[in-house]
Amino acid sequence: MSHAATHDASALGAAHPQTQEGFDFGTATSGKLGMWIFLLTDSMSFGGLLLAYGILRSGSHNWPDPSTRLGIPFTAGMTFLLICSSVTMVMALAAAQEKNKKQLLFWLGLTILGGLLFLSGQAKEWTELITVKGMGLSVDQMSATFFLITGFHGLHVFTGVTYLSVIWIQSAKGKYTDGPKASANNIEVAGLFWHFVDLVWILVFTFIYLI
Amino acid sequence: MSGAHSKKQYLVMFVVLTVLTAIEVGVKYLGLPRGIMIGALISLALGKAALVALFFMHLKNETRSLKMVVGLPMCFPALYAVVLIIESIARSAFT
Repeated sequence: MSHAATHDASALGAAHPQTQEGFDFGTATSGKLGMWIFLLTDSMSFGGLLLAYGILRSGSHNWPDPSTRLGIPFTAGMTFLLICSSVTMVMALAAAQEKNKKQLLFWLGLTILGGLLFLSGQAKEWTELITVKGMGLSVDQMSATFFLITGFHGLHVFTGVTYLSVIWIQSAKGKYTDGPKASANNIEVAGLFWHFVDLVWILVFTFIYLI
Repeated sequence: MSGAHSKKQYLVMFVVLTVLTAIEVGVKYLGLPRGIMIGALISLALGKAALVALFFMHLKNETRSLKMVVGLPMCFPALYAVVLIIESIARSAFT
């Protein structure tokens, strides 16, 4: 596919052949490149939210210490859960590259389960924070930024679970393992999104819960 | 890129990330002076994030061009964060 793209570009006389050589993305497919560029824009969104949180917090004099309200051990467990689901994701990719459908379905299923467990853990945490601790969007800035950032991340986890479930169904039909043209590229691209969700949680866990 | 070699690498990565997370929580309860604690926690978090990007997202074995596409734009939020931290330190020092 990339060969055709190069041909079209030069046919349009768009880029000088020399500059095309400068952008050598090697074996990376356009799907992977597209996902990376999307993840860049997504990290700007998270960056904006985290920087706004930093500015609000450094500007306020009575910002409560997070550990007085948030359960650090429980969330550390949730961080561990997402790390595990990143590992099962790469195991699924390795299985897909070896055209091993059974292993692919097993590891991908575990990854989806990890995402679902994370979401239910977050739902339990939020319920407790709202009912017991009395936190709420309009209570104070600490609550507002907390729910906004962890909520935005939670939606990404939900999107990832949906995305991986579609990939799981396609894998069950043998799309990524059976047949000569089967390729694991879509699994890798989905994996990029899931690892990004884990990567963002690593930062959110540190900035929102620990600092 | 696939095969047993990379599976071993993934398991090593799993252990490293878990240990770093435990260290982070430990640092939180160590009761260090605030500035040192924040510095330690931020560097641990960025280290873990870099490990996930390089090994799990395979950025390590991509071409230079793709690393540039990903790495260069990320300098801007980082620059903004550094300015924010310096500014808040300076402000608390003078008030």
